[in-house]
Amino acid sequence: MTATAAQLSAPASSTTPLALAITGFGVLSGAGIGIEALASALAAGHSPTADVSGMFEDPLPRRDAHALVDFRVRDHLGRKGTSFFDRSTSLAMVACEEAFADTDLEVGDASRDRMGITLGTTAGSAKSTSDYSRDTFVQERPYLVNPLLFPNAVMNCAAGQAAIRYGLKGVNATIAGGHLAMLNVLRYSRNLIGCGYADALLAGCVEEFSPQSAWAVHYAQRTDGGRLAPGEGAAVFVVESAAAVRAAGRRPDAEILAVETGVYDPPGADGTFVAGLTSCLARALKRAGVRPDEVTAVATAANGMPRFDEAEEAAVTAVLGAGPERLRVKDLTGEAFSASGAFQLAALLARHRTQPARDGELSVITTLGADGAAGAAVVRGWSRADGDHG
Amino acid sequence: MRRVVITGLGPVSSIGIGAPAYGEALRAGVNGVSPIACFDSTGFPYFMAGEVHEFQPTELVRRLSVDEWGRTSLFAASAARLAVADAGIDEEELAASRAGSSMGTTGGESQVLERLTGDALERGVHRLDAGLVRQVSSARLSQAVNRELRLTGDAVTLSTACSASNYALGYAYDLIRTGEADYMIAGGADSVGRWSHAGFYRLGALTEKACSPFDKNRSGIITGEGGAALFLESLDSALARGARIHAEVLGYGVNCDANHMVAPLRESIAACMRLAHRNAGVEAADVDYICAHGTGTPANDQVEAGAVVDVFGERPPPISSTKSMLGHTMGAASGLGAIASVLGITGSFLPPTINYSTPDPEMPLIDPVANEARRADVRIAQVNGFAFGGNNAIVMLGRYS
Repeated sequence: MTATAAQLSAPASSTTPLALAITGFGVLSGAGIGIEALASALAAGHSPTADVSGMFEDPLPRRDAHALVDFRVRDHLGRKGTSFFDRSTSLAMVACEEAFADTDLEVGDASRDRMGITLGTTAGSAKSTSDYSRDTFVQERPYLVNPLLFPNAVMNCAAGQAAIRYGLKGVNATIAGGHLAMLNVLRYSRNLIGCGYADALLAGCVEEFSPQSAWAVHYAQRTDGGRLAPGEGAAVFVVESAAAVRAAGRRPDAEILAVETGVYDPPGADGTFVAGLTSCLARALKRAGVRPDEVTAVATAANGMPRFDEAEEAAVTAVLGAGPERLRVKDLTGEAFSASGAFQLAALLARHRTQPARDGELSVITTLGADGAAGAAVVRGWSRADGDHG
Repeated sequence: MRRVVITGLGPVSSIGIGAPAYGEALRAGVNGVSPIACFDSTGFPYFMAGEVHEFQPTELVRRLSVDEWGRTSLFAASAARLAVADAGIDEEELAASRAGSSMGTTGGESQVLERLTGDALERGVHRLDAGLVRQVSSARLSQAVNRELRLTGDAVTLSTACSASNYALGYAYDLIRTGEADYMIAGGADSVGRWSHAGFYRLGALTEKACSPFDKNRSGIITGEGGAALFLESLDSALARGARIHAEVLGYGVNCDANHMVAPLRESIAACMRLAHRNAGVEAADVDYICAHGTGTPANDQVEAGAVVDVFGERPPPISSTKSMLGHTMGAASGLGAIASVLGITGSFLPPTINYSTPDPEMPLIDPVANEARRADVRIAQVNGFAFGGNNAIVMLGRYS
């Protein structure tokens, strides 16, 4: 099936910013590796946590997580060049590999200078950095750390390694956005492509499961009365200019019509935050040229803590009403900080992939973080019901 | 596209806090490197760093509760405060505008993570401070800036290691020139930590006492810290409010070596310079000053000097390294370099490379502005930033006329 011209054309509006096209993606989450695993979990409305008690020697706050317990990078990318990768880098690289396999974008020597990477994180691999600190405390001499592992302890490791593997010489950026990372990455990517710095980007987020991240989730959830299990994974999207993709006669999997973000005082009694998220969401719809009643689904942040989830629901209801379906992706993938935002987008696209009846449907992503950051994106998606990409 | 100008400067550095103090120190070639105080350096063969001993966040930030924010976020928010004060813009007006921040960093709040690591070893991971755990996210650097100044626009923390401030400046420049934002605060912040001191030592990149970029006997970096913030707005906005215009952002270039995680690549760095010139609409011959990445490691300086000759030919402009004074402030480095360049443009001087004694015969064409600041007419300055991962970013600044 081919989407009709009417479905493909976004409404014209003077306030419409450059639309990004997604022409392929790769995702690894606690629900499994690959797009189908996430689509199945969504359809089932449930994805069990895994027993993680054997993964690390260090104590963990709980025995389960939405983690890829048996994930080994060499099973996917081979041994060569991967032996010193930490888990974050490994997850990101496999997501990049899957994204390249999923897209019809041609990558050649001529295009590598115009291709780059924008990767979101929270603090890189907290385990790699923390292990470095620990070595300085427990080694016989404080400087007896492993120099070969030093690049892992720096936040832009995964993006740098991906550039080396794929020979991508264009812009290579890492954005520490925590919960907001995916929306930061989309805005940043849109600017790069809109201003002509790049033609195509691998844009996504990664977060690893580790004792450090498990405890971070534990303390954050406990402080605000939540019970979400930790999660991990990566989702990487191939993004290009939607206009350029169409001009080349190619068909996108989705279009990102607008992304708006802001920072407000964190959710609380004064309502500043709800008003802020409301404003982001309303602004995103306006810039996308989309009416609230056209939105069919909202992939919410669903942080699992009453204060945040109530604020989010209040803002979503204020703009979209109770009508659109709510997809609580974190119930399936756990709290994976920056990767959670990428999973929201991946979940919407995974659903489109297997459901042609949804072709052209409009969805919204909402995001919020503990420190007051908020944002929303408007997404239009399509299936690949004809089994190919174009 | 709108022209973009810099109307506020906010340096928080080991040689001075605030633009006047920082500018004076640059002119005087002050050495900001001293014995490490922020962690117990017992057992480390080398124990010097460019720490900001005088940093008192309570004296600089007004809205943030300093107990709730890590040192690096407080560097960022303090620098932003200084930049806004220097810009002379009304705080209420700013808060009501389309305004945000983009801040660069290498380690983010890794010194908070380091403290938690120590706490976990000492008293167990079950008894950590939940407030401290929350401070680990590097996203908080730019969020601290926005929260401190009540900015409701973008808050982006670019964690592209040691060229991150240039990435941040470039993004802020684009948001203003395309009309996406009206005011942006851009720069970077980082803190000295045990883990990175150890890492650089083991990598063989650390020097013992003094950082001497471009010197024949240079032997490495000294880690440093601080915050840098520049206040950016459109030229029309600056003119309309009668603001003092320090300099103009002409453009920037970003590329990636895609070659090696820690070894820089000469041809790729040269390509980045050409890209920056092209995007900024300037010719190499028009560049009056290069604020070097200039880490002081044998490899970096060799590659950077080589790339400069490849691009500029037999007579490259003077190129100096503020890292000789500040140490390597990591994610703040190119931000502090940009501020130094702006001060050079407005004050007609070149910041020096201190600790310089022996010319390197391997780089005969390089003029490192040895040891003393020099009077010079700086109309166009190039700020270099290179990083782990092969991440190169170069910002071009010009005198406003």
